[in-house]
Amino acid sequence: MEKQLVLSVKKLTKQFGDTQVLKGIDLDVYEGDVVAIIGPSGCGKSTFLRCVNCLEDPSGGSIMFDGEDLADMKVDINIHRQKIGMVFQQFNLFNNLSVLDNITLAPVTVARKTRRSLRRKNFFIRISNLFKKDKTPLWDLGKSISQVKAEAEQRAMELLRTIGLEEKAAAFPSQISGGQKQRVAIVRALAMNPRVILFDEPTSALDPEMVGEVLDVMKDLANAGMTMVVVTHEMGFAREVSNRVIFVDDGVIAEEGAPEEFFGNPKSERLQSFLSKVL
Amino acid sequence: MWNEFIKQFITLKGYVNVLNGVWATLQIAVFGLLIGIVIGTIIAVIRVMPKYKLLPRILDKICVCYIALFRGTPMVVQLLIGYWVLLPALGITVDSGVPVAVIVFGLNSGAYVSEIMRSGIQSVDIGQMEAGRAVGLTYATTMLKIVVPQAIKNILPTLGNEFIVLIKETSIVSFIAVTDLYKSFKQLGDPTYDYTMPYLMLALTYLIMVLLISWGVKLLEAKMKKSER
Repeated sequence: MEKQLVLSVKKLTKQFGDTQVLKGIDLDVYEGDVVAIIGPSGCGKSTFLRCVNCLEDPSGGSIMFDGEDLADMKVDINIHRQKIGMVFQQFNLFNNLSVLDNITLAPVTVARKTRRSLRRKNFFIRISNLFKKDKTPLWDLGKSISQVKAEAEQRAMELLRTIGLEEKAAAFPSQISGGQKQRVAIVRALAMNPRVILFDEPTSALDPEMVGEVLDVMKDLANAGMTMVVVTHEMGFAREVSNRVIFVDDGVIAEEGAPEEFFGNPKSERLQSFLSKVL
Repeated sequence: MWNEFIKQFITLKGYVNVLNGVWATLQIAVFGLLIGIVIGTIIAVIRVMPKYKLLPRILDKICVCYIALFRGTPMVVQLLIGYWVLLPALGITVDSGVPVAVIVFGLNSGAYVSEIMRSGIQSVDIGQMEAGRAVGLTYATTMLKIVVPQAIKNILPTLGNEFIVLIKETSIVSFIAVTDLYKSFKQLGDPTYDYTMPYLMLALTYLIMVLLISWGVKLLEAKMKKSER
């Protein structure tokens, strides 16, 4: 069975002033893929990831997602970002919200927005209907906000249960450990039912003893078939969990392959020397 | 001296006047600050907005002019122009100068609060905005629900300071015929031209009000801190 293409990056470039950070990166991510991106620091792997959901505006190239080019400034990026989860190195949980609110904020806000715009549309349809013989049907508003909220909370609690943090639902981010924060951040991304989740060095800011708990959650996700793009320094994770490893060096993809081939038989000299340093 | 003051204050019901003065002062300072916070937040958000497009750039310029105008002229002058120039020019008559004072204090304080708020917004980790955008929230929603609440928490002591400044600054509203704290105490001394007691008491009243406010701000700060850390 042909796997569906989720994300297709073509010739992506990024410049900061005179510095060319990305020099044309091509990457196709298929459904269920776990792509690990490794490389020396400053090679542009984080920048690449941040360009994919336009946290950094790409300077050139295209990013096809859901039939639209995200690199095109005219595309409404907010709609697509709802379907592209992101997990940050510094967790970036919303400090002023409880763990539960962190997870439910986006689903509830988005539902509220959609509802509001539908109501606005209905208002104009009603007015134009006054002058028409065959009435235009009104949009279905769907669930009420309180219903959406209750469902979002229920789903958040379910997700928290899967990572064993349901008793922390009312806690604030500052009251939980780094590993717990990162697990909550993953769940926050999951709450939007994304098609792909981007991980930007998710374990780099963690104490060594907490790395395992976060990697376990990511492994479970990968096993459940989630599409993931992971920038990481955890070679063990790249080797065990990913089905493709990409080595980025100096703004280009220097080598890519299946993990066994990639780690067992690195072709380029640059990768060989990199691996000898980190393994 | 003391007896005369007591006579004026209690027997001749001077305290009613003073209480009205306290009320006017509080009204002007509180509503002025509230308007100031709203205006200041709007200006601050406009000023930290990314400036790729034309509209934010124009709005930014307007805000810069606004701040220059209101910080560059004394509040007394703004009051005088508002009450004696603009009101007649617009053909509006008012029973009391309090609403005018509230608006002028709000506009003026907005210029100052905008700079306070801007530093507050910039003190919030950029990651908070990125995280909000990454889950698909708009710039405005993330600002309103994530960044500004955290910014307000950070700048609470400075906002308290601004409130205290406003309270004391209200003593200038007598220029537009409002009976505030200062005017009400002055009237206690007017019959005898002995202002020793009224003015000492005036100072004491301001001091008590300011101390009460600093205490309240401290309580509020402690309460907000509890939600975090």
